[in-house]
Parts: sequence; structure tokens; C-alpha cells
Amino acid sequence: MRLEKCWFCSSTVYPGHGIQYVRNDAKVFRFCRSKCHKNFKMKRNPRKVKWTKAYRRLNGKDMTQDATFEFERKRNRPERYDRSVTENTLKAIKKIDKVRVDREARHHAQRMKGKKAQVLREATKELEQSIHMVKAPAALQEDSSLTLPKIKVKVSQPTEDNHMLE
Amino acid sequence: MAASNSSKLFRVGRSILGGLCNNSIGSIRSSSEMVQVDFLSQQQRTFIQMRTSLKVVDNSGAKKVMCIQALKGRKGARLGDKVVVSVKEAHSGGKVKKGEVHYGVVVRAAMQRGRCDGSEVKFDDNAVVLINKQGEPIGTRVFGPVPHELRKKKHLKILSLAEHIV
Repeated sequence: MRLEKCWFCSSTVYPGHGIQYVRNDAKVFRFCRSKCHKNFKMKRNPRKVKWTKAYRRLNGKDMTQDATFEFERKRNRPERYDRSVTENTLKAIKKIDKVRVDREARHHAQRMKGKKAQVLREATKELEQSIHMVKAPAALQEDSSLTLPKIKVKVSQPTEDNHMLE
Repeated sequence: MAASNSSKLFRVGRSILGGLCNNSIGSIRSSSEMVQVDFLSQQQRTFIQMRTSLKVVDNSGAKKVMCIQALKGRKGARLGDKVVVSVKEAHSGGKVKKGEVHYGVVVRAAMQRGRCDGSEVKFDDNAVVLINKQGEPIGTRVFGPVPHELRKKKHLKILSLAEHIV
């Protein structure tokens, strides 16, 4: 039993799933489901189709080089069965998966950061523009500190704020 | 299995009827699903039956062959089955001449065949290897990829001659 990779989307094909297409030059294409197979028949290039692993790796959305990938390399030499080796391998698989997932999350976070300033700017703008949906404009006029809580404005009646919120 | 066969036949019948009453079926399709008529028209591959022309992939001398009888199988022959063929085109000076009737084994079929692990295999074309009544191949070489379904059907000589087993 061997877990193959789908040619189109690079997801694992488990036994009992998918279609294998053998071309006359003896190249075998494995597909995990008919979606990938139909895209292949349409002659689409997986490197251009956004949801495939090939595209994501190419465009830096996912991790490309990592030590954890070395463990999944294809090995063609069959190993002699050894129970302890099998047990250790199963434990190692779990650990390696955890490590890989953590590293991918970190990669994702690294990719997504650097937006704090922009997010803050957008939030203040939204607060200015749409506060009328939350508080009536008449109420704002009385107590202008409601718009931008950080700005300290001297108000004559500070306790009225608590009454309105309740 | 039966359901898939019947659905395949239905679709085959539909493609035949499509030539006759295109409008009604087209309108039914468009009413049920707002899908554009796919210009690719995913082909529904079926069995190898009488009048199916097949490619010959050994060096027996024949080039193109027409199936005249699929031995075993009500609807037709599939991957790994034996057929009776009539030679339509042959190399000059080969062991086999045009117009002769021989037996053959289907080594590549465009229709997918289910494997015992649940996956499916399909090839690019329909190809045969000519054999004699006893099951021994007439030629001495086999070209192209060959499925290992032949092992179960006891065509071991063909497997031994093959250059690539899938």
C-alpha cells in the first residue's frame, strides 16, 4: 500500500480513491478526485490554478524548503519488517506532522504581518465615518469624546456617559 | 457496479440519440442545470465490441485490427479480456496477413477498469496483442505500457515481453 500524490493538486491519494491515467509514453498521472481529473483533461496548468499546492508553493504562499519534507521522500527499497521500527515510525510521524504544522503556521503569520499600521488607520476611519450607526448624532454632540476615546477632551459632564451606556 | 454500467449505457445511448433529437435533450439539460455546453464533451468510454478498431502493439506484422467478437462479456471486452479480431492493416512480409482472423488480448483500454484496491486505471487508446488459440503471443515484442491485470488472466508471456508494467 502506498499513499500517492495527486498530480494536479498534490494532495494525498488514499487507497480506494481516484483514477490513474496511463499515457502511451508510460507516464502515470494519478488524480485524487474527478475535479483534478477534469482540470487535467481541460489541459490546465496546475501552476496557474490558484487552489493547487503547485501554485501556492510557486507563489510563496506555502513553505517550500523545510527539513520536515525530507521525511516524506519516496523510498523504493523495501524495509524488513521490524515491530519496534514500525512503532517508532508511527510516533515520529505524529511528531513530524506537529512540527510541520507549526512551521507552516509561522510561515503564514510571517506572510500576513506588517499590516498593523494599515489596520489601525482603517479602524479609526471607520470609527469616524460610521459611528452614527452605533450612537445617535445628537448624543455625540453632547459628548464628543465618544468618537475617539484616546483623545482627552475636557467635558463638563463626564458622568452622563455611564448613564447612556446603561 | 451495475448502476454505473447502466448510467454509462444511458449516457452512451444519449450520445447516439443526441444526433437524432438534439433539441429536446439540449433543452432538458439547460433547464436542469445552467451549464454551458462543454465543447470538450467529455467522452464516455465503453467496451470493446464488434467493429471496434484496435491498435496492435506487438511485432506480429499487423497494424490495425477490427474486433469481431468479444469472448466473455455481454456488453463487450474490457482490459485484459480476449477478443477475436480480423486483421485490417498489416506490414508487408509479417507473420500475419491482412484479412486473417486471430485471437487477441486487450492490453490497453480507454475505458477505466476497477482495481481490487478500489482505484481505477485507464489508458490513452485501445490496443491488442495477437495470440493464438492456446494463448501464446504470435509476436516476440510488446510495445508500450501494459497493466498487471494480465497476471491474473494468466497472460504471463505478454508480461514478460512488456517494457513497462503499470
